[in-house]
Amino acid sequence: MAFAGPVLLKRIPADPAQRKLYRWADYNATGGYEGLKKAQSMPPEDVIKLVIESGLRGRGGAGFPCGTKWTFLPKDVHPRYLAVNFDESEPGTFKDRYLIDHDPHVLLEGIAIAAYANRISTSYIYIRGEYHRQARVLEEAIAEAYAHGVFGGKHPGTDIIHNCYVHRGAGAYICGEETGLLESLEGKRGWPRIKPPFPAVAGAFAKPTIINNVETLSCLPAIALHGAAWFKSMGTPSSAGPKLFGVSGHVHRPGVFENELGIKMSVLIEKYAGGVKGGKYKAAIPGGVSMGILGTDQYDAALDFDIGKKYNVLGLGTAGVIVMNDQTDLVRALRNIVRFFAHESCGQCTPCREGTAWMHKILNRIVAGLGKPRDFDLLMEVAFSMGAMPGTTICGLADGANWAVRTFLQKFPEEFKARLKPQQVGGVNITPVAVAV
Amino acid sequence: MAWIVEDRLKPYSPTRSEPYLSPAIRRQVEEKYFPRYPNKRAALLPLFHIIMHEYGYIAPQAIDEAAEFLGLARAQVQDAVSFYEEFRLQPGGTCVINVCRSISCELLGYHAVLEKIRQTFGIDPGETTADHKITVLEVECLGACEQAPCALVNEELHGCLQPEEFVRRLQELSR
Repeated sequence: MAFAGPVLLKRIPADPAQRKLYRWADYNATGGYEGLKKAQSMPPEDVIKLVIESGLRGRGGAGFPCGTKWTFLPKDVHPRYLAVNFDESEPGTFKDRYLIDHDPHVLLEGIAIAAYANRISTSYIYIRGEYHRQARVLEEAIAEAYAHGVFGGKHPGTDIIHNCYVHRGAGAYICGEETGLLESLEGKRGWPRIKPPFPAVAGAFAKPTIINNVETLSCLPAIALHGAAWFKSMGTPSSAGPKLFGVSGHVHRPGVFENELGIKMSVLIEKYAGGVKGGKYKAAIPGGVSMGILGTDQYDAALDFDIGKKYNVLGLGTAGVIVMNDQTDLVRALRNIVRFFAHESCGQCTPCREGTAWMHKILNRIVAGLGKPRDFDLLMEVAFSMGAMPGTTICGLADGANWAVRTFLQKFPEEFKARLKPQQVGGVNITPVAVAV
Repeated sequence: MAWIVEDRLKPYSPTRSEPYLSPAIRRQVEEKYFPRYPNKRAALLPLFHIIMHEYGYIAPQAIDEAAEFLGLARAQVQDAVSFYEEFRLQPGGTCVINVCRSISCELLGYHAVLEKIRQTFGIDPGETTADHKITVLEVECLGACEQAPCALVNEELHGCLQPEEFVRRLQELSR
């Protein structure tokens, strides 16, 4: 393990006063597009091999090996599309926004490398609607890249012209789910699709499509330039490379920081984010609210792709760490998270649409002091029954709600149980359902 | 899609004689967006972003016009547009404030921001002031948690909000 210095954030200094937007000239003057040149000097198949060897895993949440995903494209079927997932709507996640705010060309170079390796015809950057500034920054950077021949030309040795466009979403978390994103790209409501067929076979406009996260693609220029061994020298055997970590919540210096995968959360919070604010550390969400919560005794959790098995959370997710101090009311925190899922559930699958809404109602009544003893088990039962992993829903949104609820209840049972008591009217047990919030 | 759309949605009676999809908007979509996609339907989101930017909301008549322009059934357009929260079907104030209510912003006090707005302008989330200057809405995570609590005012992000100062800024912006 050796992290010599920032890779993705090498153009973004820690001091806010020195940060600036890197346009074409600045980017090129600091080693920009060298990785693309190196990649284009290799046969496309070798670029894919290089990415597989590097061990690069998807940075968007699932951690799927990037190069392996590319090999799922059926041979000689064209056109092929690349959909760049810049929907970034998971609460606690803002790393991609921060990167593009300052260094949009690193993404465009990554897109150009992925497009070259996979013979892509069109790349669509699906950016969430709320990112107005970032959409403008990308549009301008793309125009610069077109002017310098990065896009709009043929892939060497073929007749395939590669174009790159920005496509703006319009305020829907579910469009960050890869097939929801594709539906939205096609001008429909963002309802996730039943798989198979997988996007690599029939994705956008029923053509083979790769979907990669912004940060994943932004790793490619450095991999092309410095090689797979260099990339693997950072991180752990199963989680190679540098990683952006967003830290927010109760810390003195919230922000985006880069280190290698496997860094301890305590180091991230104390060394980078200035320590816990307003009290002592109580709990933290490791990577967006879908991942569940780390307990008070898990402060030293290693942030890598194995975190799920080791610490009873769903996974590393987006590595957007949300820190909570000992003054935090975890019942209210969980209610906020469950409301998010209830609000963002697309409504296709009953367990998710109904389950999230009912868990929200139950948590509302617990917050209002009207929770019944049985509500603890009821929340668990509803949570465990929903998601793509229990096999009751199409996509993973419900798994996020499932893991958020189950880990809060498993790791902080006393916080919840202390709020529950038999609710009686005239000596008869009742169930309060509607609680005005 | 797993079903067939039958277009039984009646056209809305026009509310203004001038079309919402002005020749300039049509030209912009035809020249800039149609070439980007293999079909016209995919230009639906870009088209409605332009309409939102121009008019601040989506009038029923604009849905009719868009259906005709994109060669879709009105039901298909309504189906898609109504899914997205950013496409508002009701007009709002000149200053639309989207206050983030997700976890990091709750931990750092978005409630105080809403309370200050309520005290100053007399509106709760979802409401517009009587003079049509300010609309306040609660939205889910804006992707700026390091600047919590934060809000999007029209198309601009405001972070690290101090309720007093933010309300003063809003009074300036809506003047």
